[in-house]
Amino acid sequence: MSFLRVDDLHISLGEFYLREVFFSLEKGDYLMIIGPTGAGKTILLESIVGFWNPQQGSIYLEETNITHELPEKRNIGIVYQDYALLPHFTVFENIAYGLKKKKIRDRDEKIREMARTLNIEHLLHRKPDTLSGGEQQRVALARALIVNPKLLLMDEPFSALDPQTRRETRRLLKRVIAKSNTTVIHISHDLNDAWALANKIAVFREGALLQFGSVNDIFDRPGSPFIANFVGATILQGTAEKNGSDGTFVNVDGMKLASIDNAENGSEVTVAIRPENIIVSKEEPHHLSARNVLETTLKDIVPEGRMYYLHLLANSVELPALVTRSAVEQLEMQSGDRVYVVIKSTHVRIIEHTPV
Amino acid sequence: MGFRALRKISFFQASFITITLFITFLLVLAIGSLFVVPSWEDVRQNIWSPEMRFSLKLSLITGITSTALVMLFALPIGYALSRFRFLGKGLVKTVIDMPIAFPELVLGLCLLLLFGNTFVRDVLASVGLNFVFTKKGIVAAQFFTALPYAIRIMKSTFDYINPRLEFVSRSLGYSMFETFKNISLPLARNGIMASTVISFARGIGTFGTVLILAGGSYMKTEILPITLYLNISYGNMGMALTSGIVLMIVSFLAIFVFEKAEVGL
Repeated sequence: MSFLRVDDLHISLGEFYLREVFFSLEKGDYLMIIGPTGAGKTILLESIVGFWNPQQGSIYLEETNITHELPEKRNIGIVYQDYALLPHFTVFENIAYGLKKKKIRDRDEKIREMARTLNIEHLLHRKPDTLSGGEQQRVALARALIVNPKLLLMDEPFSALDPQTRRETRRLLKRVIAKSNTTVIHISHDLNDAWALANKIAVFREGALLQFGSVNDIFDRPGSPFIANFVGATILQGTAEKNGSDGTFVNVDGMKLASIDNAENGSEVTVAIRPENIIVSKEEPHHLSARNVLETTLKDIVPEGRMYYLHLLANSVELPALVTRSAVEQLEMQSGDRVYVVIKSTHVRIIEHTPV
Repeated sequence: MGFRALRKISFFQASFITITLFITFLLVLAIGSLFVVPSWEDVRQNIWSPEMRFSLKLSLITGITSTALVMLFALPIGYALSRFRFLGKGLVKTVIDMPIAFPELVLGLCLLLLFGNTFVRDVLASVGLNFVFTKKGIVAAQFFTALPYAIRIMKSTFDYINPRLEFVSRSLGYSMFETFKNISLPLARNGIMASTVISFARGIGTFGTVLILAGGSYMKTEILPITLYLNISYGNMGMALTSGIVLMIVSFLAIFVFEKAEVGL
């Protein structure tokens, strides 16, 4: 019994298409869909809401087959990147639009409450084109949520917003979703959205669902080098060396990395390590169990938002680490420094292995 | 600033602007002569002549009727061409656009052959319609002449409306028809206005199609362009000029409203 089930969905709209898409969600799940442009993410949302008819496959909502149900009967909300507010209506009328159809009592009170939650109460009398992007997006959210949709679909809702507005909108969204326990599918290019909001992730590429899993699954154990690259993990190639009990040693260019994952002795493996899971220090750490300690040379320090990327070289292996600005300052790091790196074996994940 | 800007205009720019101004000047001259040549006393008398009153009244009635009919058809056709995918859509678009390139006389001839066909005439007669050499024929001729223009404007108007607005409306529980009524139509307001005005101007000025299908008979199927034509052939310049002036004023008002509406399109 799953809340939403997409079963073998095939759809083709000229250059955009989906093939063999299977996945399911539970009530209250927050699914983040990531993938490059042209992966078919938008048409997946528009098929679920009912604007396109799939060539093959079915969509079930609460165990009811809705594949050929009219969009207006599905009770699924959609929020677009360009907000799609009705320009000839005021903010109030935009939010009220869906409620009007449902003939709900206490309409005004409901709208005011939603507007208060999303900080747009002072804008209710305005026309959408007089609002900023962040305000318009909050109106679009209010309009979609006020009718209590079974499922809320969002197509890159934050990508037109500046970083600060994006954080604020994310916070408000999280609050309002938690309140209503709405199930959400959200397309985003910003991995921060996934960290902040999602509990599940689906990776799409060229019309196919590459990987579906929990946020930690995807970020720590990406299913392929492509996904690893997409979610910002570092990929290393090595050979597995069985260490008897649980886990594996992976020989990467002479370095032995302990991983908690198992792989056949002697097989070629691909390992994923997240840059933020690398701990750096200038002094050699001692007495560490189940951890990898590597000696590296710091090649370069590159700012990345409010963090820093350290480009470290262990033998000939490039190993980027993501650290805070204060760490860089406190450790007085400079290029050319010798830096010790600590990686827990739980953060060294084998994502592919070729049997011998 | 002014002089410096003037000096920097290249020969290329200057020659193109000159060509534009030359043609504009010719047009102004041509239009102006319509107002300069006749004596105003003549015009005043002609306007109140029974023939002119008949012609003006018939022009307005047929023009308004055909415009209403054109819009009734242009809205769904324009929307269908803009939004829906269906078999043979490319062919449909070509056929619908054809009357724009057709000489009016040929269009009139085609309509005459269709509506004059015994079978079609009998079918139409059974619902009380006869288009051949009748006032209803004027409306039909104006309808088919103006329709493609109205459809073009309506299609591009609907193209311009973000289909996501309609998607959102449907996701909020409104049917396709309700969405069309609540979202598409109000947002197409300027396009509808422009389309109506152009249809009326095009319809009221239709000559060839009307002449062939409805016949240009004096005080019977006589609309303004026919009045102009009939009086030119009798050598009655005063009447011809007057109907020309009236037609010109109507078209001028139409273009004025059209330009106004298009600003907000």
